[in-house]
Amino acid sequence: MIKPLFFYIFALSSVAAGVAIIASTNIVRMAYWLIGMLLSVAGLYFLQGAYFLGVIQIIVYAGGVAVLMVFGVMLTSQRVAAQLRPRRWEVLWLLVTAAMLLTGIVATLLDARWSPEEAAASNNVADFGIHLLGKFVGPFELASILLLIALLGAAYLARPKVPTVKPEDTPK
Amino acid sequence: MIELQHYLILSAALLVLGLVIIVSKRNAIAILIGVEFILNAANLNVVAFSSQGIGGLDGQTAAIFLIVIAATEAAVALAIFLNFYNIIATIDVDRGDKLRG
Repeated sequence: MIKPLFFYIFALSSVAAGVAIIASTNIVRMAYWLIGMLLSVAGLYFLQGAYFLGVIQIIVYAGGVAVLMVFGVMLTSQRVAAQLRPRRWEVLWLLVTAAMLLTGIVATLLDARWSPEEAAASNNVADFGIHLLGKFVGPFELASILLLIALLGAAYLARPKVPTVKPEDTPK
Repeated sequence: MIELQHYLILSAALLVLGLVIIVSKRNAIAILIGVEFILNAANLNVVAFSSQGIGGLDGQTAAIFLIVIAATEAAVALAIFLNFYNIIATIDVDRGDKLRG
């Protein structure tokens, strides 16, 4: 009986975070609302029994990606606030399009029928690890290469343009 | 009992919210926040299927890979935005029109 209550708490808080981001013009507040949404989604993972994923969501997303966003906000801080708002008719068209899209998706979902298999997925972390390194070992290795490329690429892209070593520092 | 469709409808709502954020914001980092919304919506979808016993553990494994890809995407995109900010001195994506696109 407590599960639906928590589901609606997490669902409402994640949707409210999205609405607050849309309504806000302050980028720092948007980043903090993003953290709220990520934590709500982590709570939904816990509610579904995907405990390992919930922990990973908190560590990687709320602890890594969101902090990275806040760093980005600080490094590109600016005095743009008022002029970065969309025009009124743009907002109208956007809301109409978004409402139509949401209605279409929800109508499709309500029509669809899935038959759940009898055996629910195991939530054991050991089973999860065996699955990850057994059936999905190829994507696992590809993900490690992707992480290496992203590390090198981000470090290369974000390097300073001017040489940091002054000429008089170099030994003659 | 929470049905599968509850999670799918919530996932659809997060997807549409992310799309609205991407389209309506002009700050590049806000656009990145919208992308994170959409990725989380996809994650919630696959985890919901997995936890209802459809597809076994495949959904949760796919969610792990999605998280990895989202993290790398955020890192590289932020590096690109820092370069953008260094060159154009603003983070407004509408000003990045040097290619006359």
